[in-house]
Amino acid sequence: MPDQTWTPGACSIVGIGETDFSKASGRTPLTLAAQAARAALADAGIAPRAVDGVVRCDMDLVSAPALADSLGADDLTYWGEAGPGGSGPAAMVGQAVAAINSGLATTVVVFRSLNGRSGNRYGLVGEHGAVGGDNNYEEFFLPFGMQTPGQFFAVVARRYAHEHGLSIDELSHGLGSIAMAGRAHANNNPAAQFHQRTMSREDYLASRMLSSPLRLFDYCLETDGAAAVVVTSTQRARDLAGVHVPVLSVAQGTGRGVQPGQMFPALLRKSITTWPSAATAPTVFGRAGVTAGDVDVAQIYDCFTITALIQLEDYGFMAPGRAAYVTPEDLSVGGRLPFNTSGGHLSEGYIHGMNHVVEGVRQVRGTSTNQVDGAEISFVSSAPPPGASAMILGVDR
Amino acid sequence: MTDAQPSPVLPVVDDVDTGEFFAAAARGEIAVRVCSACRADVHLPRENCPQCGAFSREWRVVPPLGALYSWTVVEHQVHPATPVPYTVVLVEVDGTDGVRLVGRIDGRAELEIGQRMEAWFEQVDDVTLPQWRPIRTDEESTA
Ligand SMILES: [Zn+2]
Repeated sequence: MPDQTWTPGACSIVGIGETDFSKASGRTPLTLAAQAARAALADAGIAPRAVDGVVRCDMDLVSAPALADSLGADDLTYWGEAGPGGSGPAAMVGQAVAAINSGLATTVVVFRSLNGRSGNRYGLVGEHGAVGGDNNYEEFFLPFGMQTPGQFFAVVARRYAHEHGLSIDELSHGLGSIAMAGRAHANNNPAAQFHQRTMSREDYLASRMLSSPLRLFDYCLETDGAAAVVVTSTQRARDLAGVHVPVLSVAQGTGRGVQPGQMFPALLRKSITTWPSAATAPTVFGRAGVTAGDVDVAQIYDCFTITALIQLEDYGFMAPGRAAYVTPEDLSVGGRLPFNTSGGHLSEGYIHGMNHVVEGVRQVRGTSTNQVDGAEISFVSSAPPPGASAMILGVDR
Repeated sequence: MTDAQPSPVLPVVDDVDTGEFFAAAARGEIAVRVCSACRADVHLPRENCPQCGAFSREWRVVPPLGALYSWTVVEHQVHPATPVPYTVVLVEVDGTDGVRLVGRIDGRAELEIGQRMEAWFEQVDDVTLPQWRPIRTDEESTA
C-alpha cells in the first residue's frame, strides 16, 4: 500500500565500501567494519569524524558506538539496528533514511561485518546443554534432526516442487539456473570469491548432495568480510563530489502469522513457499511508484538458490511456479531480469545482504563489472524467512 | 539408536510455554496448545492467542497421526549425535489447525508428500521425543 508520508528519493546513498572477501580475514569484525566504512566515506568525500549515525545488523558483533569510535566520530546522535540477520540490510538503510528525514542524524553509516567462515559459523548446533526455551522454540526442531539453514531450505524446496507439480529434476533445473547465473557474474568480478571458478550445468548437478534436494552449489559461501554504505539527504548529496544514488523506496514486511523464533518456526506458517517478501512487495513498489516490470536489474538475497527462486515470484518478477523454468540467460545481463550481478551470496560472498546493497548502487552509477546498460531502476532484497525487507534505487532527476 | 558416544541434542522440557508438550510425550501423547476462549490451536505454544487475543494455558491431546508435508534426506554431517544419512520429516497433525511437527528417521527414507504418518515415542536419556514414521498398512495406498 502506498504510504502517504513516504517521499521517494529524499535520501541517497553517497558512498559504498567493501573489504576483500575471504575464508580467513585474520582481522576482527571491528577492523573489517572500519575498513568498509572508511572506504565508503572516502568514496562519498565525507570526513569520518562527521558521521553522526550508525545502523548495524542485529547479529553483528560490532556495536554502533564501537564503529563510531573507530571512525573518530565527533558525536553519535543516532544508532539503530535491524534484522534478524539477512532480513536486515534494506531495512537498515531504511532506518538511516528515517533518522535523516526526522532530523535525528545527517550522515549515517550502514554496515555489516562478519568472520562468517573463520569465526562464528551459522547453523551449528550448540554443544552445551539442552536447546530451546524462552520462546526461541528450538526444542521443536534441533532434537529432531532439523539443525541447519540448509536442511530448512531443503524442506521448503521439496514442498515448492510438490505444490507446483514439478519433479525434483525440474526443480533442480531452476535452482541450477540461479546458481549458474550468479557464478557467471562472479567470473567477471575480480572481488568475487569464485572469480576464477566457472560452473556448467553438469558441474552444478555433479556437486555433492548435502540435504536433498539441495546440493553444495545451492548453498552460499561462508565468508569473512564487511560492506558499508553512507546515507545522507539527497539535498546534501548534490553538493558532494561523488555520484549519489537516491533511495526511491525501502520497505519491511512480515505478513500475517509470521511465527515467533528466528528461522525453523517459519516451517509452521500457513504457506512455506510464499514468504514475507510477498507482503513486502506491494509496499516497496508502491512507495517508489514503479512496478516489477520497470526494474532494470535486481540483487536478490540468495543464501540458498531456493531463497532467491521464491523471491523472484514473491516480488512479481515471475508468476507463481514459473521461476523453476528460468534459464541462466534470463538472469544474465541482456536477459529479462539481470540478477545478482556481482555474483551474489552464492558466488561473490556472503556479507548477509549488504554486498547486494553495494552492487545495487554500482548498477545505477554504471560501475558494475557486469553493468546493465542504462540501468536506472535497481532493486535489492534482503532475505526471508524471519521477515523481509527490500529497496529500490534510482537516479536523481 | 547406536549413538552411544556423543551427547544427544536434547530439548528444554520445563519451559513455561512448551514444557507440557514434552510432559505429554512422556505419557505417550501428542498435545498441542489450544486457546481456552476461541478454541484455536496455538502452535508454536504460547499463552497469547493470535486469533482472539485471550491468554490461556490449556492443552489438548490430538491423534498421533498426520500427513507428510515435506521432508529432506540429510547427507552432510553436522552434529555428531545425529549421524548421516538421516531423514527429517515435517508432518501436519490430523484434527488440528495445521499444526506441524518435525521428526527424524534413520537412513534415507522412501517417502511421498501427503502420505500417512504415525507418531512413536523415542526415549533418549530421561526425555521422550515424539517421532514420526510412515504407516505401513493398507490405508497407505489411499494417501
Ligand atoms: Zn483465541
